[in-house]
Amino acid sequence: MTAVVLIDTLLLLLVTVTAVAIIEVRNLYASAMLTSVYSLLMALVWVNMHSMDVAFTEAAVGGGISTILLIGTLVHTAREEKPLKRRVHGKALALTALCGAALIYGTFDMPRFGDPKAPIHHFRVPEMMAQTVGFANSTAGKQAPPAGFDPLEYRSFNGAVPSVPVDPADTAWRETSVLAQHGIMLPKVNGHALHPAEPGHHLHPPDDFNGHVPNSVTSLLAAYRGYDTMFETTVIFTAGVSLILLLRRPRREGYLQRSAPLADQAILRVVSKMAIPFILLFGLYVITHGELGPGGGFQGGVVVACAFILFALIFGRPALYRVLPPPVCDLLTGLGVLMYSGTGLACLLLGGNFLDYAMLDPISPGDGEALGMTLVEYGVGITVSMVMLTIFNQLAEERSK
Amino acid sequence: MQAHEIVTTILLALGCLVSMTGAYGLLRMPDFYTRLHTAGKTDSLGQFLIFLGLVLVTPDLLTQLKLIAVAMILMIAAPTATHAITKAAHLHHLRPWTKGDPGGEP
Repeated sequence: MTAVVLIDTLLLLLVTVTAVAIIEVRNLYASAMLTSVYSLLMALVWVNMHSMDVAFTEAAVGGGISTILLIGTLVHTAREEKPLKRRVHGKALALTALCGAALIYGTFDMPRFGDPKAPIHHFRVPEMMAQTVGFANSTAGKQAPPAGFDPLEYRSFNGAVPSVPVDPADTAWRETSVLAQHGIMLPKVNGHALHPAEPGHHLHPPDDFNGHVPNSVTSLLAAYRGYDTMFETTVIFTAGVSLILLLRRPRREGYLQRSAPLADQAILRVVSKMAIPFILLFGLYVITHGELGPGGGFQGGVVVACAFILFALIFGRPALYRVLPPPVCDLLTGLGVLMYSGTGLACLLLGGNFLDYAMLDPISPGDGEALGMTLVEYGVGITVSMVMLTIFNQLAEERSK
Repeated sequence: MQAHEIVTTILLALGCLVSMTGAYGLLRMPDFYTRLHTAGKTDSLGQFLIFLGLVLVTPDLLTQLKLIAVAMILMIAAPTATHAITKAAHLHHLRPWTKGDPGGEP
């Protein structure tokens, strides 16, 4: 048994125990805290699988902000769950057992974790990786375009592979693919030896596609399934709007209902004063750096929202409303979605497809991709942070009579 | 095994030991305040030792600086969190355990 499997087994055992504890505990505050523990343990499981982006999201969203929001909700409801009348519900047990069995049966068809022969490593993804995150002129760590490179032809490449190889170990088809004929950025296993990194540039592990793909997850999220991410952002936007419609008091009653109970706590005030600028900076870093490393709009937005929530908790919501009045917050919520779709529209106006970021910089498509993805990540980050803040504010307020 | 690896091993082992004593104290101590007392202190020291050990085996300066930054942030954040929790309990009039009085809710 390797160390990875051992750690995975231990973590998953802990996850199971936590899940049972969440169901068993009758105190809802304890249940909310256990949910946070569950998310942190799952984040560790993802780290063990080397999926840093998912781990980051799980830790920030599951372990961080949803716990705050759950506890915020509990203020309005009861502390204790109602006692159960019947311990075992036969029909429900049978139904869940059936669903679980079906899911387990479904996993039998999936390739094993990390299997190099899995179809995803051989069919669409390598070509897509090579296509979406391009190269830039004289940017450290990126490949310079070859002589005689035609951006138009590059863009018109549709990612089609001539044929799926019967033997997954046979990678000869890559050499004959359209990209290979141009000599650009072919993902090769252990290919980093062929392209030594520039001096001063951070060395990438061998499985990192030669260092040309800074973060394949962001490239997938923002380019390959860019529509999906756009509508995810719209869903969050809609959630924020409906919450405002349902819970916000009319403006004539005023936004504020309570005083700030923690403002006299000197230690908390000093430490949070010290911490908040760094939390904000870190959130912006996560959003900006999303295209290069783990992170992105969703995680960064949540971190930014946490900084504002901490500010509101310590200094009171009147202070928060002086910094960020609710109308500004509402405007920013919409602005994020507009930024995302606006970037797509700009690509359309520049002559490409919707969300075809390469259009933003015709001379070096790779830089265009990077610019487009950064803009889109900022759009997501703004919407997510403002909606999270709105949810917190609405939960903290008393309902309108 | 090189010298810095030996130092790292010792530091990691010490860090784990300190964290273990914290976990044991959490189970062993009689009431809320004493439990936080063990958990809060040992966590700060334990994480600092573990991060210090990791810094010594990290080859790259940027990652070393990041590890030190994380250790410093935790050094400030963890005691503050402990303080906040204790203060909240105190403000809700949770009595501490004393001889002849088990403490608990008012």
